[in-house]
Amino acid sequence: MVLLLVGVSMLTFAAMSLLGDPLFNILGPIAGDTENPQNIALQDEAKAQYHLDKPLPERYVRWAGDFITGDFGVQFSTDGQPPVLNLVKERLPRTLQLMVIAQILALAIAIPWGVFAASRANKASDKVSTFVAFGLVSLPNFALAVILFYIFAIKLDWLPDTYEATDPFWGFTHGHRLIQLILPAFTLALPIAAVFQRLLRTDLITTLQEDFILMARSKGVSKRRVLFGHALRPSMFSVLTLFGINAATLIGGSLVVEIYFRIPGIGTAIVEAVLREDFPVVLALVMVITLAFVLLNFLVDLLYTVLDPRVRS
Amino acid sequence: MTDTPLLQVSDYRVGFRTPRGLARAVDGVSFTLHAGKTLGIVGESGSGKSVLNRGIMGLAKSAHQIESGSVLFNGAELVNQDRQALWGDEISMIFQDPMTSLNPVMKVGKQVTEPLRLHLNLSKSDATERVVELFTAVGIPSPRERLKQYPHELSGGMRQRVMIAIALAAEPELLIADEPTTALDVTVQKFILDLLMRLQADRGMAMTLITHDLGVAGGRTDEILVMYGGRVMEHAETDDLFSNMRHPYTEALLASIPRLDHAKHARLNPIPGSPPDIIEPPAGCRFAPRCRYAQDRCTTELPELDHDGNHGYSCFYPVGSDANAEALATNQQRGHTATGLQIRAKETV
Amino acid sequence: MSPTNPTNVADVEIAAEAETGADHVVNKRLGFGFWVSVGWIVFIIGIAALAPVLPLKDPDANFLVLEERENPITGRMQEAPVQPPYAPSGEHWFGADQDARDVMSRTIYGARVSLTVGFAAIAFGIVFGGPLGMIAGFVGGWFDRAISYLFLVLLSFPGLVLAILITALVDRSLFTISLTLGILSIAPVGRLARAQTLVFAEREFVMAARTLGAKPFRILTKELLPNVMIPMAALALLGMAVAIVAEGGLAFLGLSIEKGSTWGKLIRTYTASSGDLESSPWMAFTPIGCLFFTVVALNYAGDKLRDYFDVRELML
Repeated sequence: MVLLLVGVSMLTFAAMSLLGDPLFNILGPIAGDTENPQNIALQDEAKAQYHLDKPLPERYVRWAGDFITGDFGVQFSTDGQPPVLNLVKERLPRTLQLMVIAQILALAIAIPWGVFAASRANKASDKVSTFVAFGLVSLPNFALAVILFYIFAIKLDWLPDTYEATDPFWGFTHGHRLIQLILPAFTLALPIAAVFQRLLRTDLITTLQEDFILMARSKGVSKRRVLFGHALRPSMFSVLTLFGINAATLIGGSLVVEIYFRIPGIGTAIVEAVLREDFPVVLALVMVITLAFVLLNFLVDLLYTVLDPRVRS
Repeated sequence: MTDTPLLQVSDYRVGFRTPRGLARAVDGVSFTLHAGKTLGIVGESGSGKSVLNRGIMGLAKSAHQIESGSVLFNGAELVNQDRQALWGDEISMIFQDPMTSLNPVMKVGKQVTEPLRLHLNLSKSDATERVVELFTAVGIPSPRERLKQYPHELSGGMRQRVMIAIALAAEPELLIADEPTTALDVTVQKFILDLLMRLQADRGMAMTLITHDLGVAGGRTDEILVMYGGRVMEHAETDDLFSNMRHPYTEALLASIPRLDHAKHARLNPIPGSPPDIIEPPAGCRFAPRCRYAQDRCTTELPELDHDGNHGYSCFYPVGSDANAEALATNQQRGHTATGLQIRAKETV
Repeated sequence: MSPTNPTNVADVEIAAEAETGADHVVNKRLGFGFWVSVGWIVFIIGIAALAPVLPLKDPDANFLVLEERENPITGRMQEAPVQPPYAPSGEHWFGADQDARDVMSRTIYGARVSLTVGFAAIAFGIVFGGPLGMIAGFVGGWFDRAISYLFLVLLSFPGLVLAILITALVDRSLFTISLTLGILSIAPVGRLARAQTLVFAEREFVMAARTLGAKPFRILTKELLPNVMIPMAALALLGMAVAIVAEGGLAFLGLSIEKGSTWGKLIRTYTASSGDLESSPWMAFTPIGCLFFTVVALNYAGDKLRDYFDVRELML
């Protein structure tokens, strides 16, 4: 997993170093001048200052060292060069709030849904649920965003249609970000819930054929209790695995959702930076995302041991 | 004690609808079980003995399963009724494989307290105390530590003891033990069986002991029911069955068990052939294709359960009768039975 | 269960269980839904390909409707354009957009780009990822480990982010977008090819070919390739769906092809203001509907094909 971090960072670093010329960001149009000796001197000075005259591997090592010690570099903007770290600090919580709410929603939808579908396997209601899940999986998240927005924010007008980064988070009115995040979070959560539900259903059907389910039933435990108390936990492993794998989907999805619902999070920041060709920011944000991905997978491994006592020993 | 038997089963049938047709897994079984008594149900795999018991209990009914006949439990009809209210505190069950029958992700303590809290409404600490008693009763050493363990941390024998503790927890009147020792080491088997017998006697509980091994049922049961192809072949008191065996299948079953008093390299006598097709069963006696006494009559006519006093058997040529000796002689002479099974001319019983 | 064997109780129980748990029954028919899906795919590709010769309205022309209106300044009645967008009518089946352009014809022309990107991306993935995966699976050793690791890195990396990166660094032409999505589809295709190769490399007919002294290249192309092709067809359908969605996502972020319209771009322009979405939802929902049906059809056909050939290792 650490290898993954290194791999991604090298790839990104190399791509950006080879494809874009950072001098333009530092010096602006002067960087394109190859005739005026004064400008060429300026270029050389900047190169030396930012170690751009060194070979690529050395630049990479320097950058990696800085990154590990928490120096993410600076952003290029009209008002000086604020550290990228500030941007991350400002934006990351918003994205995390969105993602956490989305994941909670996804599980909150997927678990009852999956249990319902499995307990009625192959009946008409299960077929309908399969159909709905298939539709949700096939619906691109930006289309889902538009549809949900149209129904709940415009037609029904139940939910706020704007996100205000300055509004307080906790609270239950349209003026609170918790409520403002409901639509974006649902957009992220529904397709994930559909995938989780499919997986949970399959695993539950397998688990329900195990002897220990019969055993539990023979103890006089009700069907409902058996489903939730006995069958659910041993059926969660695939969902958990997917939880980690799905992080990439979630990150991609949150990009789109943040843009559509105008949430100034990491996703918005990365798109803005790309459009501005602000490479240190892109690099730092890509690394933050990858780091989050790795951490999430690590967390999933930990969760395994909580769910399955057999892994512990 | 009243005269009402605990369990009265009459002409009970269980069928599964399959794409090929109806599979008659249990085909007209009748027996009576009184409180405190033990009934052994013996047969090969596929004889319908497990389906019979799960059918009686009403567990794991699929949409493809149909049942008919009558099962009276304490005088109340169970057939086609929802029996969930009985599970745990009136009828409970021990399953064959302790490896797969305990929830792998739940501490064993919780699995045992669950029926206690459900049926006896005990508080958590009371239930735990009861579990400790139960664990001691089933011979689990240091019960308090075991409570916090997961099934995979216990040996097979220990797990089966846990299963027994679970089954006994809510003090059922009837315990269905479905091959309780098949999945265990031979050395552990005897302990578990003896434990079951002792607990049953202590608690005055009725029990059905399902096994494929006549030897397991012998000596531990009051009556034995021998099943084949979903039908009762022989039904007698245990002593009577062993001393006065009437059905050729029972005879063959006993001959197929390795015995300590046999010579070291004595041949086992496996029963030739395989269990019958229960979707399209042979006309006549189910066992006829594998029976060395089979005559023409056996292939066309279905023998009903005949009673000789308390001893029931369904055979036209019961072992020990003159007709049986004649039938064997006929078959030995022609070298095969009426169903074409090859017979060696000189064969001792 | 073969009909000659006697059925015993255990078998019957298993059979009965299998029928209740659908996932154990392999449905060996493609079914009605599959052909409906294929029908839609053929239909949408057909009209997209034939768009220039079909009697469609010019997607870039403005169809302003004029009406008699009182000029507020002069007070006289005069012809003036009605403020677009226009609702669906006999003239414009799916309405007209903010610039009074025909939504249906724009959607169909958008399909040309979206479908091309989808097809090109997955074709690229198959052409490069397929052989790479097959060779890795066939050769094994360090080469296999290296390639597998590369696939893993590519797979776990958020694809959209990489796509954004590349489109930002290079340009936003049809070629770049297709190439980017193509590179992204190398890993899933390659993994499948590798897994299939591993499965079949152990089979008797490959062993037989090896013992007969067939050259590795011959085994790869003659023995293994046909077996890898079948699941690849299913993957191609699923992959095309993913690529189309990805392009839509990029376009929605404003990072897709600059020239011409795609479904994603149409959705973006038609939903840019919530006022437009509120007053004229048909604009946005026409391309959304097309995109949705196409993705559903591709996914469904791919799923069915996969079930039909009973391929397990298929994840995108």
